[in-house]
Amino acid sequence: MTPAISITNLTKTFGSKPALHRVNLEIPAGATVGLVGANGAGKTTLIKCALGLLRPTSGQCALLGEDVWSLSAAAKARLGYVPQVISLYPWMRVRELIQYTASFYATWNAQLTDRLVREWDIPLDDRVRGLSVGQKQKLAILTAVAYQPDLLILDEPAASLDPQARRQFLQLLVELTEPQQRTVLFSTHIMSDLERVADYVAMMQKGQIIYFGSLEDLKDRTHLSLEDAFLQMQQGAANA
Amino acid sequence: MRLRIEPSSGVPISRQIADQIRSQCVAQALKPGDRVPSVRELARELAVNQNTILHVYERLTAEGWLETRQGSGTFVKVNPGARAHKSAQTQALLAQLRQAVQQAHLLGISSEELHEMLTASMTLEMDSDVPSERRTL
Repeated sequence: MTPAISITNLTKTFGSKPALHRVNLEIPAGATVGLVGANGAGKTTLIKCALGLLRPTSGQCALLGEDVWSLSAAAKARLGYVPQVISLYPWMRVRELIQYTASFYATWNAQLTDRLVREWDIPLDDRVRGLSVGQKQKLAILTAVAYQPDLLILDEPAASLDPQARRQFLQLLVELTEPQQRTVLFSTHIMSDLERVADYVAMMQKGQIIYFGSLEDLKDRTHLSLEDAFLQMQQGAANA
Repeated sequence: MRLRIEPSSGVPISRQIADQIRSQCVAQALKPGDRVPSVRELARELAVNQNTILHVYERLTAEGWLETRQGSGTFVKVNPGARAHKSAQTQALLAQLRQAVQQAHLLGISSEELHEMLTASMTLEMDSDVPSERRTL
C-alpha cells in the first residue's frame, strides 16, 4: 500500500538556522501517529514541509503518493489540516463559515457537522472574531474533519481545549480512525492523549526523528511510561 | 464490568484491558455467555484506539476467553483454563503480600497497624470512583 506520508532526506534551514536535518519518515496508510518533541524540536516545521506550506531546503515530501509541490486537486480534497495558529475569517458568523467551507467539498458530512456543533456547544450565530481560543480550535477541527479526509494532520489540536472538550476530541479521533480507514498525524505535548489514541509514535529532537515505531513495541521493550521513555530517548540522543 | 485505564503507567493500554477482562472472567463478574461491547463501542467509550481494542479481543479469543459469533457480537466463553489462571494469579498475589508483610516488619509496623492499613486500602478501592475512566457494562 502507498504510504500516506513519505518524507525523504528532508532538510530545512531558516537563514543559517537549521530547523530540520535529514529527516526520513514513512507513515503507513491507516496509522494514527503521535508526534512529540520539546518546544523548538521542529514539529511544526516538519508538518508544514510535509504539507507543502514550506519549501524544504533539500529533500522530498510525498502525501498520498504524490509529491507535495505538485499535489492534484483530488489529493488536496482528501487532506485535512488543523494548524497550531488558527486563522479563520473573523467577520463571518460561525454558521456562515461552516457553510462556506462545506461548499468546497463534495464529501461534506452534514450529519457529523450537526452532531459536533451540538456536542461541542459551538455557537452558530456568533462572529468568529468573538470566539475564545478553545472555541476557535473546536471550529477548526470541525471544518477539517467534516469532509472526511483520508489524511488528517493536526498541530497541537488539544492544546487549548478544556478537559471535557479534549475527551470529546479524543473520542472523535478514535471514531474517525476506524481500523485501516484513515491516517492521522497529530503533534502534542499531552502524552496520555497520545497513549490512548495513537498506534505509532514519532519523537523529535533538534530537527531529527530520534524514534519512530509502534507504541505497543516501545512500551513492551522499555516498560516505561511514554513520558519516561521519551525523556530517556532524548538523553540517549543527546549523548550520542 | 468495570475497566480502568491508566495511560501514563508503564503497562501498555492493551495489556491493562486484557488483564482486567481476564480477571473479571475468573471472578465471574463476566459469565460465560455474557455479551461484551463491540470493538467500536468500547474504543469510543474509553477513548482508546480501535486497533488496540481489536488486538485485545483477538488475543483473548485466541486464549479462549472470548468468542465471536458471526453477526451477533463477541461473548464470554466457557474457559477451562480459568481455574489455572486464577490459581497462578492467586500465587502471584500471595507472593506480593508476603513481600509487603516483610517490608512492614522491616519498618517496625505492628500486625494491628498492618491489618488497619489493609482494611483502609480495601475501603479505598471500593469507594474510589473515577467515572471518566471507568465504565459499567
